[in-house]
Amino acid sequence: MAGIFWHIGVFGVLAVFLIVTIYRTIAIARLPVHLRWELAPIPREKGKAKYGGSYLEDYEWWKKRRRTSWLAPLLYMAVEILLLRAIWKHNRKLWPLTFAFHTGIYLVFLMLLLSILNAILMVTNVSASVLDVFLVITSVAALAGYLLGGLGAVSLLLKRIFDSDLRAFNSTAKYFNLAFLAAVFISGAYSWFAIPDFALTLSQFVEGLVTLDTSLTIVFPLSLHVILASLFFLYLPFTDMIHFVAKYFTYHAIKWDDSIKDARMEKELNELLTQPVSWSAEHIKADGKKSWADLTKKSDE
Amino acid sequence: MNKKLKIADIAKDGDKPLTEINLKELTPLPPPYDQVGEETEFKRLTEEQQQRLVCNLDGVVSYAGLPKPRTKAEEKKYVDQFASGLKKLLSKENNWTFLQPLLLSIDYCAQCQTCNDACPIYVGSGQNEIYRPTYRSEVFRRLVNKYAKPGGKLRAKLNREDIELNWTTIARLYELSYRCNLCRRCTQSCPMGVDNALITRELRKLFSQELGWAPKELHEKGTVLQIDVGSPTGLKPSVAMDNLEFLDEEFSEALGIEIKTPWDKKGADVLLIHSAGDIISFPEGPISFSVLCNAAGINWTLSSEIPGYDGVNYGVFYDDVQLAKVATRHAQIAKKLGVKKIVMGECGHQHKAIMTVADRVLTGELDIPRESVVTFLEEIVFSGRIKFDPTKNNFPVTLHDPCNLVRNLGVVEPQRRILRYLCPQFREMTPAGIENYCCGGGGGLSVMSDVNFPDWKAHVAGRMKLKQLLDAFADHPGPEVKKYLCAPCLNCKLQFRDIFDYYKVKERSGIIFGGLGELAVNAMVDVKKPLIKWEDD
Repeated sequence: MAGIFWHIGVFGVLAVFLIVTIYRTIAIARLPVHLRWELAPIPREKGKAKYGGSYLEDYEWWKKRRRTSWLAPLLYMAVEILLLRAIWKHNRKLWPLTFAFHTGIYLVFLMLLLSILNAILMVTNVSASVLDVFLVITSVAALAGYLLGGLGAVSLLLKRIFDSDLRAFNSTAKYFNLAFLAAVFISGAYSWFAIPDFALTLSQFVEGLVTLDTSLTIVFPLSLHVILASLFFLYLPFTDMIHFVAKYFTYHAIKWDDSIKDARMEKELNELLTQPVSWSAEHIKADGKKSWADLTKKSDE
Repeated sequence: MNKKLKIADIAKDGDKPLTEINLKELTPLPPPYDQVGEETEFKRLTEEQQQRLVCNLDGVVSYAGLPKPRTKAEEKKYVDQFASGLKKLLSKENNWTFLQPLLLSIDYCAQCQTCNDACPIYVGSGQNEIYRPTYRSEVFRRLVNKYAKPGGKLRAKLNREDIELNWTTIARLYELSYRCNLCRRCTQSCPMGVDNALITRELRKLFSQELGWAPKELHEKGTVLQIDVGSPTGLKPSVAMDNLEFLDEEFSEALGIEIKTPWDKKGADVLLIHSAGDIISFPEGPISFSVLCNAAGINWTLSSEIPGYDGVNYGVFYDDVQLAKVATRHAQIAKKLGVKKIVMGECGHQHKAIMTVADRVLTGELDIPRESVVTFLEEIVFSGRIKFDPTKNNFPVTLHDPCNLVRNLGVVEPQRRILRYLCPQFREMTPAGIENYCCGGGGGLSVMSDVNFPDWKAHVAGRMKLKQLLDAFADHPGPEVKKYLCAPCLNCKLQFRDIFDYYKVKERSGIIFGGLGELAVNAMVDVKKPLIKWEDD
């Protein structure tokens, strides 16, 4: 297969992935402001975060200047995302499997970034020795990523099947997602071993894509791997596997949202409070006519 | 009978309990509470009760008033109401208050079960399947996905997540929503930030706001009574004032210091809102703050306006409308008095309700500064205006961290700084601070006492807390060394009262419990006689 097949396929998948992911991200972000529901620890609290303290510990806190750190939440999330802190702390048996799985994903993502960099180096005719260094790094990242990811996906799939604590909560989608990812990783690993210079071949493929080379071809089994990976990326944004987006909101917009009302929020809140409600219980009986503000008024007001 | 359950089992075998409490399966307690036979027996339902009451979850009934339909048509009515409530929970108009947190918790649970061992109820029960924090949430998630989303029925079949919405499901789900303390330890442990406690509260909300089902202690005799009469205790304004006046006199004599509690003082700096339950059940608490505020020369007042003398807000446990009503009343009273700030009494959920959860309902001139009693007390203790003699508190003291004050608000250290200063034998529990276990009465459970629910609270919900408490005093386990559990929260104290009575903790281990203010007053140089006593007068 040559011509523009691969370009349409890969860029098409990328476009769908980005559009759907951005759409879903905006949909979450545009949900109305909610009541405060923070949960300790909130890492940005300077001097207090290490034990889970908040600004509410200060006498007459509203008169004090808050001391916050912008770096601490980033570091907290970096440890959470890269090392899976919560699973390490609370579910140690699961940690090796899920750590291998997630590290595999991160390494394959690194491999993709490096392939793009290699393609740029090739287009700009950078010296072969520099390119070789990057190709070696790409190759190592690819092999480690595919092996760790494949091992993680297969072991998590087996754990889901055989662990009685997990089995009751499984769905077809949960099995399918892991099996699909395992197939992507295994096809990648197979390509790495089957193709004499995997990193160079992959980088040349990426070069063909970014330069819109219509003579672009791809050898088997890399073609199979690219097709599987593309299909996965097409599927991903429609599933709950985009929890990397959701996680931003569950942490920053809920657990760590202890922000004090400003004029903009007050305006939004006042609009929400005047919306009609239709809860039917005897003590509410809103019938779509009363608003939140009406419901909280005293009967003699 | 701790068998593996499937999610769909909740809809099956309508009259039979899904599980039963077996005392031998519960997490063992330390000596002398480790002999199962010596524990107080769990009250089982009589045959008559089993016929009359809805009791198909775990053989425990938290609300005898739950309607038991006699006909299929009646069952369908409730099921339809539930389905309608599910849709309302997902709508911006009806549930903007928690829509974002709810949707994220429904859609993004990875089902890794990491949260399970963080739950003191699940662990305390000996890992009974029904109490997994994820079981309830997964039932709810599958119902939402099948019955409140387009194409849900087909997707449920394809995904093998089918679940039947019938009378059995909603009856069990109602009870199950009151087998959680809303302590949010599970949320803290979740790598995704999924909040099973929030899902539980949303379920309670659906039942309350759509079907009108809520425990009578929280609703009818809770928020409704508070809004109408002034307090869930039934205490009317005049009676509250009389009671405190009597207590002022009584404690003036008992402590050898003059006590006078001010009421309805316009333009005071501080409006202090205690819980009326403290005035009735634990009067040493409110009296301590009268002593401390007066000694520190603070311009303060209590309010006798309904419901300004009772800071509890059970709405935070089950109903957004009731939550907002109570919080708004409290803020309106403060505005009318023209105070500079509201200080919460020693009550965790009161703190959370008005300081954070209802913060976004109190807009404009109702947004009066609100402060924790703990930071307020820290300022008093370290201001130098009162002389303390810590040797008066020279007995082992440990601290219980109320979830709503500590885990949910991040008020962790002020109370510890006070205890380290005033109590030479202060020691921490393990785990402590924001990882502390709930007392077992959280989420409104401490005031619920229908049928055999108190037995469940004592045996299951409060088990890990009791274990943790006994472990903290393991160096002096017997009653010969007098020990003090500091629990700066009314609801926690109510739960401790029940557990202590149930297991005879004072008699067997020499532990009593009380608030933080009491320890401060007990250490005051000017207070001639001790406030904290192990023997009843």
